[in-house]
Amino acid sequence: MNLKRSFIIAVILSLLAIGSWEMYWRSQDYYPGLEDDKELWAIQRAKLENASNDDVVLLGSSRVLFDLQLNEWEQVTSRRPIQLAAAGTTPLPLFHDLAQNSDFAGTIIVGVTPGLFFSTTYPMAMFWNRLQIRIDYYYKRTYAQRLNHKISVPLQNNLAFLTSDEEDWTDDLNLKTLLKNIRIGNRIGPGMPPFYRFQDIYSDRNVLMKNKTATDTAFANTIKRVWGFYGELMQAHPPEKDATMAFFLEDAKKFKARGGNLILVRCPSTGAIRKGENMGLPRTDFWNDLVTEASVPAYHFEDYDQLKNFDCPEWSHLSAADARIFTTELATIMMKDGALSNPKSN
Amino acid sequence: MLFNSLSFIVFLIIILILYYSKLFNWTNKKRMLLLASYVFYGLWNPPLILLLWISTMVDWTAGNKLVKEENQKKRKMWLLLSLFVNLGFLAFFKYGDFLLENFVVLMNALGVDFQARPMDIILPMGISFYTFQTMSYTIDIYKKKIKPAKTFLDFALYVTFFPQLVAGPIVRAKELISQFYEPKKATINQFIWGLFSLTLGLFMKVVMADTLLSSTSDDVFDSGKVLHFWDTLAGTLAFSGQIFFDFAGYSTCAIGIALMLGIVLPDNFNYPYASIGFSEFWKRWHISLSTWLKDYVYIPLGGNRHGILRTYSALMITMLLGGLWHGASWTFVVWGALHGFYLLLERTQKKYLPFKITATNGFFLAITTWACINTTWVFFRAKDFITAKNMIASLLFLNPDGEKILELFDIIKVYTVIVILFLCHWFMRNTSVKTVAERTPAWILGVVWAIMFVLVVIAQGSGEQFIYFQF
Repeated sequence: MNLKRSFIIAVILSLLAIGSWEMYWRSQDYYPGLEDDKELWAIQRAKLENASNDDVVLLGSSRVLFDLQLNEWEQVTSRRPIQLAAAGTTPLPLFHDLAQNSDFAGTIIVGVTPGLFFSTTYPMAMFWNRLQIRIDYYYKRTYAQRLNHKISVPLQNNLAFLTSDEEDWTDDLNLKTLLKNIRIGNRIGPGMPPFYRFQDIYSDRNVLMKNKTATDTAFANTIKRVWGFYGELMQAHPPEKDATMAFFLEDAKKFKARGGNLILVRCPSTGAIRKGENMGLPRTDFWNDLVTEASVPAYHFEDYDQLKNFDCPEWSHLSAADARIFTTELATIMMKDGALSNPKSN
Repeated sequence: MLFNSLSFIVFLIIILILYYSKLFNWTNKKRMLLLASYVFYGLWNPPLILLLWISTMVDWTAGNKLVKEENQKKRKMWLLLSLFVNLGFLAFFKYGDFLLENFVVLMNALGVDFQARPMDIILPMGISFYTFQTMSYTIDIYKKKIKPAKTFLDFALYVTFFPQLVAGPIVRAKELISQFYEPKKATINQFIWGLFSLTLGLFMKVVMADTLLSSTSDDVFDSGKVLHFWDTLAGTLAFSGQIFFDFAGYSTCAIGIALMLGIVLPDNFNYPYASIGFSEFWKRWHISLSTWLKDYVYIPLGGNRHGILRTYSALMITMLLGGLWHGASWTFVVWGALHGFYLLLERTQKKYLPFKITATNGFFLAITTWACINTTWVFFRAKDFITAKNMIASLLFLNPDGEKILELFDIIKVYTVIVILFLCHWFMRNTSVKTVAERTPAWILGVVWAIMFVLVVIAQGSGEQFIYFQF
């Protein structure tokens, strides 16, 4: 047995194969980027441990991730917010955790996506559990997990074939997803349409919609089909307005009582999603009631000329360029209202 | 720290550099390995290193006292102290909630209105492995089968040696401690073979278990539905393959890493799915646990020396305890009971209906054994008896009305992997990877090695835990 020779052959072939694999995916328009995973989220969550009353935390679903840009926010308010929004989740469990298990008394901005915010308080429901997993991970993460992430960041930033995410996008490049995309026949029906990654995320969890989503209508339509799929699913589960509001308001009361500044924000939606929201979760019955009950500063995009004319390429999120404008305008309005304080003047 | 993680790769490279540098003499190399083992464990949960230290201190002290002490009563007390501490750890950390839960059920059944909140005790990783390992040391000294370790450092390293600390193999003192007495250095061939074993183990874990089988198994067992026959069978077979690849993968990594340091660990798996009969299965599956149970439970209970009834009782008790060792749940007890029942049946058959095993009937007997073992995995994996019952019913009654949840490709994928797995075990049952590798041209071995490595890289394992860590 000539193990040395086998080893050398294995090393050469491995390098060639991995190099070819990387080049192939780059030729298919893939490029390196970070994964929006639990650890990336937990790193931001950890910043809250030493946050002051001047700090701003962003909670919500993907609309807060896409629409509120950290650089622009910082330019207007002189304070970089901590981005803790998570795609496809209700903010209730995290707001509950911050209200009950931390002493943070700065500003919490809660993005209200009606279909998610008013969905449920059932802990095992998908929109709840997805965020709860991250919250639990934050408290239980090991030093080994932290170290793994630190080592993986340079690799993720340099190798396109590592494109992969906890979201399980259809265009992830790990072997499991590549195999999952092979379909023979139609044994269990059509299922969920393909869901392609349509954004990039950076180390501080600032998210930008991919340019392709804004310019390629066919691509944007693939995302719209996914919203349609979820819309049908949500029709089978009517919103739990009373339960979700009661849950949120109790935490809001506790947070405000210790001096915390709570702000509600409703980011834009358009097209069929907006129609669906108006039908299933009309503003007067949901948003208005929530604002009245919470009695905190609240910003609905429809109420401001600067915010109401944006077009969402896939009906639910702003393009990168529009998100920058939206953020600047929203933060400026909040500053003018005195909803946000300027740490410099403090 | 997990073998299938980036931090472990960095950790291993640093250890190998320090180990093979001329910075340290042998004693300091052992100190470095011991410290590294604590780091390896502590990166998961630092305070729980304390349990390792307590277990180490107690068994080191007990071992030394047992050698010096002549008084039989006092010797027994030292042995009992070791058993009490190690089994006490297990009872509290692993079975605390289970015992409490069953106590509540018992009280309620007796008409006493008693409720208790679960204690939610954290389960220290690998506790079942290192407690069994240290207990074997003390018991063997008590029985005067071995001498105590020469130094505390040798003993502490035996308890804590990182390649096999959290999921075995459960190594006996005589197999490992003596290797620490003299300086160890892997030959170049040993080192490369260790690296090959590490790649093979990672391939089994990351590609075969996590990528090809785990999601089918999870989808089926966690569906909460009564499923169609083909889905149920695919889920059961997927778990059967997953648990083998997961655990045997870990053992192969552990053996490979130790070999890179010049330390030889015993095999833990020997193509178990090609076993002809259940007693052979337990000689091939998790060998270090089954021999431990045989030596420290079955034989002390009388073994086969006191008539058929006592033998059968000892066998059943051993298998029930073996089941419970895997987890604090009645489903594991049923899993152990089924294996105990199979072993009793096999003994009865051998006694009253003996027949010769040939190549032809051997193949069919192996398939039958494997099929029976797969049935037991349903109880092992199911989170409750309702899930297990639904799955067994779907399997037995070929349920055509059950829900279909798997894509056709998933079913084909699982069946293909499982058939290949069984055939591999069958054709390899009388040989080993090393023997086959020795007969294989170097370039073919190199190509196979590269394929495995590249697939591990492409699979991008998300650092999923090894199943046996929870035991």
